[in-house]
Amino acid sequence: MEEESGEELGLDRSTPKDFHFYHMDLYDSEDRLQLFPEENTRMRKEVVQAEMANESTGVGDGNAQRDLREEVEELVHLHGLEDDHELGDEFVDENMPRMGVSEYPPYGLKRRDPAREQRDWRLSGEAAEAEDLGFGGWGSAGQCQDLREVYRYTHGRASEEYECYVIPEEEDEEEAADVFCVTCKTPIRAFQKVFDEHKEHEVIPLNEALESAKDEIHKNMYKLEKQIIDMENFANHLEEVFITVEENFGKQEQNFESHYNEILETLAQKYEEKIQALGEKKKEKLEALYGQLVSCGENLDTCKELMETIEEMCHEEKVDFIKDAVAMADRLGRFLKTKTDVEISAQPDFEDQNLDFSDVEQLMDSINTIPAPSAPVINPQAPNSATGSSVRVCWSLYSDDTVESYQLSYRPVQDSSPGKDQAEFTVTIKETYCSVTDLVPNTQYEFWVTAHNRAGPSPSSERAVYVTAPSPPIIKTKEIRSCEEAVLICWESGNLNPVDSYTVELTQAESPEASGVTESVVGIPTCETLVQLQPGQSYIIYVRALNMGGPSVRSEPATVHTIGSYFRLNKDTCHPWLTISQDGLMIVRSERSTPTREPPPRDTHFTRCVAVMGNLIPVRGHHYWEVEVNEHFDYTVGVAFEDVPKKEDLGANCLSWCMRHTFASLRHKYEFLHNGTTPDIRITVPPKKIGILLDYENSKLSFFNVDLSQHLYTFSCQLHKFVHPCFSLEKPGCLKIHNGISMPKHVTFY
Amino acid sequence: MALKQISSSKCSGELQKVFEHVSVELNCKMKFAVYLPPKAETGKCPELYWLSGLICTEQNFISKSGYHQAASEHGLFVIAPDTSPRGCNVKGEDESWDFSTGAGFYADATEDPWKTNYRVYSYVTEELPQLINANFPVDPQRTSIFGHSMGGHGVLICALKNPGKYKSVSAFASICNPVLCPWGKKAFSGYLGKDQSKWKAYNATHLVKSYPGSQLDILIDQEKDDQFLLDEELLPDDFIAACTERKIPVVFLLQEVLARIS
Repeated sequence: MEEESGEELGLDRSTPKDFHFYHMDLYDSEDRLQLFPEENTRMRKEVVQAEMANESTGVGDGNAQRDLREEVEELVHLHGLEDDHELGDEFVDENMPRMGVSEYPPYGLKRRDPAREQRDWRLSGEAAEAEDLGFGGWGSAGQCQDLREVYRYTHGRASEEYECYVIPEEEDEEEAADVFCVTCKTPIRAFQKVFDEHKEHEVIPLNEALESAKDEIHKNMYKLEKQIIDMENFANHLEEVFITVEENFGKQEQNFESHYNEILETLAQKYEEKIQALGEKKKEKLEALYGQLVSCGENLDTCKELMETIEEMCHEEKVDFIKDAVAMADRLGRFLKTKTDVEISAQPDFEDQNLDFSDVEQLMDSINTIPAPSAPVINPQAPNSATGSSVRVCWSLYSDDTVESYQLSYRPVQDSSPGKDQAEFTVTIKETYCSVTDLVPNTQYEFWVTAHNRAGPSPSSERAVYVTAPSPPIIKTKEIRSCEEAVLICWESGNLNPVDSYTVELTQAESPEASGVTESVVGIPTCETLVQLQPGQSYIIYVRALNMGGPSVRSEPATVHTIGSYFRLNKDTCHPWLTISQDGLMIVRSERSTPTREPPPRDTHFTRCVAVMGNLIPVRGHHYWEVEVNEHFDYTVGVAFEDVPKKEDLGANCLSWCMRHTFASLRHKYEFLHNGTTPDIRITVPPKKIGILLDYENSKLSFFNVDLSQHLYTFSCQLHKFVHPCFSLEKPGCLKIHNGISMPKHVTFY
Repeated sequence: MALKQISSSKCSGELQKVFEHVSVELNCKMKFAVYLPPKAETGKCPELYWLSGLICTEQNFISKSGYHQAASEHGLFVIAPDTSPRGCNVKGEDESWDFSTGAGFYADATEDPWKTNYRVYSYVTEELPQLINANFPVDPQRTSIFGHSMGGHGVLICALKNPGKYKSVSAFASICNPVLCPWGKKAFSGYLGKDQSKWKAYNATHLVKSYPGSQLDILIDQEKDDQFLLDEELLPDDFIAACTERKIPVVFLLQEVLARIS
């Protein structure tokens, strides 16, 4: 039926050929009421869905449905949505079977093309009684008639007028209600308010009424949806319980079966034993009795024999008789003296058997007693489940044994000889997991577990090794080097034993902790790393150490500003006569030519040239720093390769480029040295602050008088490796370094 | 002042043009070359004046120096005027190569017969800039000047006589102390007369001593083996010494080799 109607109503959008003279738009509700076009469509859809939803909640809801529908009908009436909507109502009312929710959407689709519905309907209405038009399933001819009545009513026209194609809506619009009487719950025309009926009543604009009706419907829809979900969940749950009941039954059945079998076997065995014992006893008795019988017989024979002999004797001659009688008397005397045992040795009765069923009783009782459990299986450590001081140990029991508690034992794993026993700890737990605390970071522990019940303990599980997470590393903040695009951070491990790797986390400092995006660099094998950054930002950096157990907590943070290039002086290169300030930015050569302490010189220290080098981040690009000088000091500033000969002067070789100032006889001499040569250069105003620009991309090293924004000189230098800033003081004096500053504008031109 | 375009050659977005106009200061038709970088199409460019040396015209620099790439890269509008009035038919103007024609010495002559036409100083510092600013997409706030030899002298005096007018001054092998060198003496006595006190107004070394001192940035490049240096035409040391004393920032670079462009 559905399908038929669907076809009839034309789910496909193409206009059937016969109907082409019907102007769609006139009856297309979307366009009908220009005032509220959107609301119309929405309204219709919602109402329809509400209706459908209403239907799905149950048959018993008839009344409620009715009310709602009436309300809606009235509303719709006002909007001139009558024809298609009411038609639809009728259909829904009487003809729509109570179907599942899933069937409604197709109906909804149809609703969007009400004009088509009407059209088709009207045509079939003309044909009236024809059930074969596909509306058959929807009712009798009488119903079609009813529908036409309805249609006529709503439009107040005779049915003949359908073909004329008068536009009823325009007329209706003039009379259309535009307010809503809350009291009567009916839409009315504004002027009606004035009249007696609605005079006292509360009236609200139609829009509002619409909105509130829609809201109501929405709310109900929402509730219904929720209920659907709840019911579905419950059904699932029930299914699960179902299955569990079956399972549990199965287990119990098995249990009983085996127990009872055992008992039966035992009983049978007992029976056998007893019978056998009884048999033995009988044999015994019979043998005893038989023995007695035999001896009795012998006795009898002897007696008889004697008797016969005596009788014979009596027939003998007197002399023979007396001889024999004396012998006989002796014999008789002797014979009669022997006792004849006439006691029956074996009683015929058998004793009452003592049936010992105690072990059977025990078995019966033990139906409900359980054996000791089998060994649990301890899980391997889940990754990232440990902290620096705790691990979470899990295990499972792969049998149906009853367990009352578990005992977890552990001790640290030691490489040392087994003779030295580490302290063992044990905890009793009811669950199959345990968080063990108070442990040492970055340490391996052995864990094993036993299960316990009334019957006793299980055998021990295998031993599993868990490791605690490491301690956090410690960033070497004084050795951070940065530039506009990157930072080189190094740190101490923070752990005695090796860890697997390190993770560096950075957040931009501007955004507060909570909302900042954290970038992580993972899998760092060593205690240093170079991270790419954005220029002109501030970052907060943390480091974590990682092992199998998981990550450590964050280290103390370090802050990096990607402004300019930031470096510190390398004390390992420092000539003994130079002192570096605490902040690492001031170099002093004091008056004394030899220092108070003379550390043994190493290869890394400058020995001839009283110099020191900085540690510049090994990133190609631009680097800029400034040096504050005094025009009376003799100094040299510039750059050099890391392996510049420490026994030579700066600038004397091809591994360094520098600017040297010498002040002698009130004259300033400036040299720009590389490979021992310098151009002839004269500078009229001695700089007080020298800006140095190192440009790897263009292979240039430039010097500036910062205060005057004056360019002094530029070297073209082949920088195949990374260079570092270098500074020296040829005479006592001091130099102050300013770095981490952005390039002044005038410098950017070079 | 109507500008007449004499020539124009285009090369990868940049334009090298030569214009002609009637100069008020010099009372004759004057040509000058302008270079428009690609940036000139979209915005105002900084302007850079090039003052040529003895016997040069507006052509020498634009044809031989190869400055175009650098100018294009930095978006510089380069102006190269001629070194003296032409075709004025002043008596004696073609007698020497280092005086009058092609040798304006960037001074305003006060002596006859030169004073009508030989006012190259005013031309370069006033008339020409006004013309350029009115007709081309330039930013007068960002003007600099550079020159060679006599032009070097020209740039130094223009900068020293107009504090704050030029952002930077660069001189190649410039005549730094003309009152003491043969060229200078010849030119000044011709243009300015015998009174040497009048010469000081066009002498860089002198001007620097009384420079009121707004920010200057002077770069002087000098080839070591320059014959003219050896002939003591250029005398940079005097200038340097004066600058040192007056604390005028100058970087003076004595180079091994410096190409000539005349």
